[in-house]
Amino acid sequence: MKLELHPHARQTLADGLFAAGVEFPCGGESACGGCKVRVLDGEVPVTLAMRDALSEEEIRDGWRLACCALAEGRVVVEVEQWSLRVLTDEARVPIEPRAGRGAVIDLGTTTLVVQVVDLTNGEVLRVETALNPQARYGADVMSRLQYDLRQPGELGRVIRQALGRMLGSESLREVLVVGNTAMHHLFGGLNVEPLTHAPFVSPTLGGFRFAEEELAWPGPAEFLPCLGGFVGSDLLSGIVATRLDQQTRPHALFDIGTNGEVVVGSGQGIVCASTAAGPAFEGGRIGAGMRAGTGAIDNVHVRDGGLDCHVIGGGAARGVCGSGLVDAAACGIDLGLIRANGRLTNADKRLPLADGVALAQSDIRELQLAKGAMAAGLRMLTGEGVEKLYLAGAFGNYIRQASARAIGLLPEDLAVEPVGNSALRGARMLLLTPSTRKARLRKIVALSRHVELAADPDFQYLYAEMMALSRYRLSG
Amino acid sequence: MPDLDKLHQAVIEGDWKAAAAATQAAIAAGVAPLTIVTGCLVPAMDEVGRLFECEEYFVPEMLLSARAMKASMAIVRPLLAAAGTEPVGRVVIGTVKGDLHDIGKNLVASMLEGGGFEVIDLGADVAPERFIEAATTRNANLVALSALLTVTMPSMKTTVDAFQSAGLREKVKIMVGGAPVTQQYADAIGADGYSESAGGAVALARRLAVV
Ligand code: B12
Ligand code: FES
Repeated sequence: MKLELHPHARQTLADGLFAAGVEFPCGGESACGGCKVRVLDGEVPVTLAMRDALSEEEIRDGWRLACCALAEGRVVVEVEQWSLRVLTDEARVPIEPRAGRGAVIDLGTTTLVVQVVDLTNGEVLRVETALNPQARYGADVMSRLQYDLRQPGELGRVIRQALGRMLGSESLREVLVVGNTAMHHLFGGLNVEPLTHAPFVSPTLGGFRFAEEELAWPGPAEFLPCLGGFVGSDLLSGIVATRLDQQTRPHALFDIGTNGEVVVGSGQGIVCASTAAGPAFEGGRIGAGMRAGTGAIDNVHVRDGGLDCHVIGGGAARGVCGSGLVDAAACGIDLGLIRANGRLTNADKRLPLADGVALAQSDIRELQLAKGAMAAGLRMLTGEGVEKLYLAGAFGNYIRQASARAIGLLPEDLAVEPVGNSALRGARMLLLTPSTRKARLRKIVALSRHVELAADPDFQYLYAEMMALSRYRLSG
Repeated sequence: MPDLDKLHQAVIEGDWKAAAAATQAAIAAGVAPLTIVTGCLVPAMDEVGRLFECEEYFVPEMLLSARAMKASMAIVRPLLAAAGTEPVGRVVIGTVKGDLHDIGKNLVASMLEGGGFEVIDLGADVAPERFIEAATTRNANLVALSALLTVTMPSMKTTVDAFQSAGLREKVKIMVGGAPVTQQYADAIGADGYSESAGGAVALARRLAVV
């Protein structure tokens, strides 16, 4: 998140940033580093205090402490505490060496990740992350689709330009893009109308290509195909990364988030479904909820019969993020403060976490709705039993598995392996193996079947059952 | 009447088997079917609504109570019909066109049924014409619309407008609800009422059915 400031002569950046809502965890004592900003444009000299709080490398990269930064004239900064935890991926993957550079893009509803890759050896040369600029026009996919109906094409132009800037100017042999069905349609300027009502079936789910001139990008682009409904090529490339299509026994890929997804399958066949959990795991619709930034409780443990909270940045707690919410609920159950039916047991129906931060009964209810939808979707698709569960995405990477099991989000009886940003990794695997790419994509698309959970009348009862904040098993 | 206490308890606790058994017992003991409804099921479901309202109950408990109430109703309904008993009102309910989210709608339908209304549930993804047809043929005085997607909320307006063009707007009261719906939205599209919860929906329906 960028911010432009015009400080008066020899004034610190703190005033302007404070007015913009940036917080100073240690009160501007230059002690905590929580007010870190990265200078993108303008001059901000390094002080002694900064040398103490920041690493050599950070200073070289333009990081400064806002509380003691003196500047003159126009300064553009990026604010650390507003930046999201964006998952990239550097895992080694098989490669067919060829000349030149290429890139992969994970086009998320909230965040964007671009990786520029050396095609000769598979090395990741550069990673760029940013917030999806479409967010200004609506936080969730539905509101963006709605915007596109009113202003067709605008969101497509916005995202293509933003990604073009992130790719830079150096020539690229090809760029592979993955994203959910809404992102796919908006990027390609396709008609989004079929995605705005039941049965949510679009006739244009296929992949598409753009020549470099069409996009004014440094290379030609290919957006990989969607699997059906809202399940897009981010999941398709997740299947590639976890090799679901090559397994002999069924495995599951679980993406926990606002627009959650479940994929279960093997080389014999793959089923996928979207399980719209809602924003609780991102701190949305939770009274004290916030994203995983400075001041967020991201970790809760039971200590001496009470709750021990970890706060990002080390300062005072301002709220609780998704991983903290799951932890807090698990600890609450452990201490008998929350019953399996979600009810808070104390008289005022609140679960205090830290000074000024507490969970209310309605927050626990939101968590039940969200985790219930994810777990019900998983149970619905894992009928014949699965070998292992791969956890995709940022949230899956940060939650404590023990807590997720205790609240009944993850099953008891299954090995769980977080796979980080599997969408990005799968895309890179496809980029680096051009000879087999087409056939593999075709095979996965042919193997996959999308199921609409809402179409099943039993979903409601399974969903209600899975709202319980208690452990569950997939088998038996 | 010990049997009705048992039935009341069974509905509150969401035990459909006990509810069915208690209903059979009450009828065998000569309790009038209408008394079972007005004297027991209605107050029991009101209590369930209240427990939901004060955050004691949540969706699972409510679904179980609804199931118990329905098990009892299934026994009582034919007897009521045979006796020609008129319901408090007739409600046509459904999730609007384009939307398949039906859990909230199902809860509202159950609460209305438990509140003594005759409920004609059209399911999900219901087009305006189907609401109109059902309201006309079943002689309903209330129409309840549910939507869970911001993109399908406009279907509520289309439905209200369709009743207007069909010349039926004076004959039925229309109530709307669902997580993204607000009182302002209800007012803006010309609906007669809004409630944010299933319990509130019954009070609202009673109010609307009177005038
Ligand atoms: C369960 C769920 C599903 C289930 C639906 C199962 C079913 N049979 O209904 C499944 C997984 C299938 C699903 C699918 C989708 N979902 Co969904 N889903 C949810 C979820 C998690 C809970 C909704 C729910 O049931 N709440 C519980 C009920 C009891 O509450 P309620 O409906 O609000 O009802 C209460 C009141 O509103 C009121 N009420 C309701 N109706 C009425 C009517 C009247 C007249 C009155 C007076 C009162 C009233 O009374 C009820 C009880 O108090 C929400 C997120 C969340 N955490 O809320 C997303 C959510 C609603 N879904 C969403 C989306 C986008 C979808 C999909 C379109 C795409 C996707 N990403 O998967 C699909 C397609 C569905 C379709 N085909 O229509 C979004 C909507 C975003 C938006 N801007 O519109 C949400 C908010 C999640 C998100 N991404 O943020 N979903
Ligand atoms: S406020 Fe600047 S370092 Fe703590």
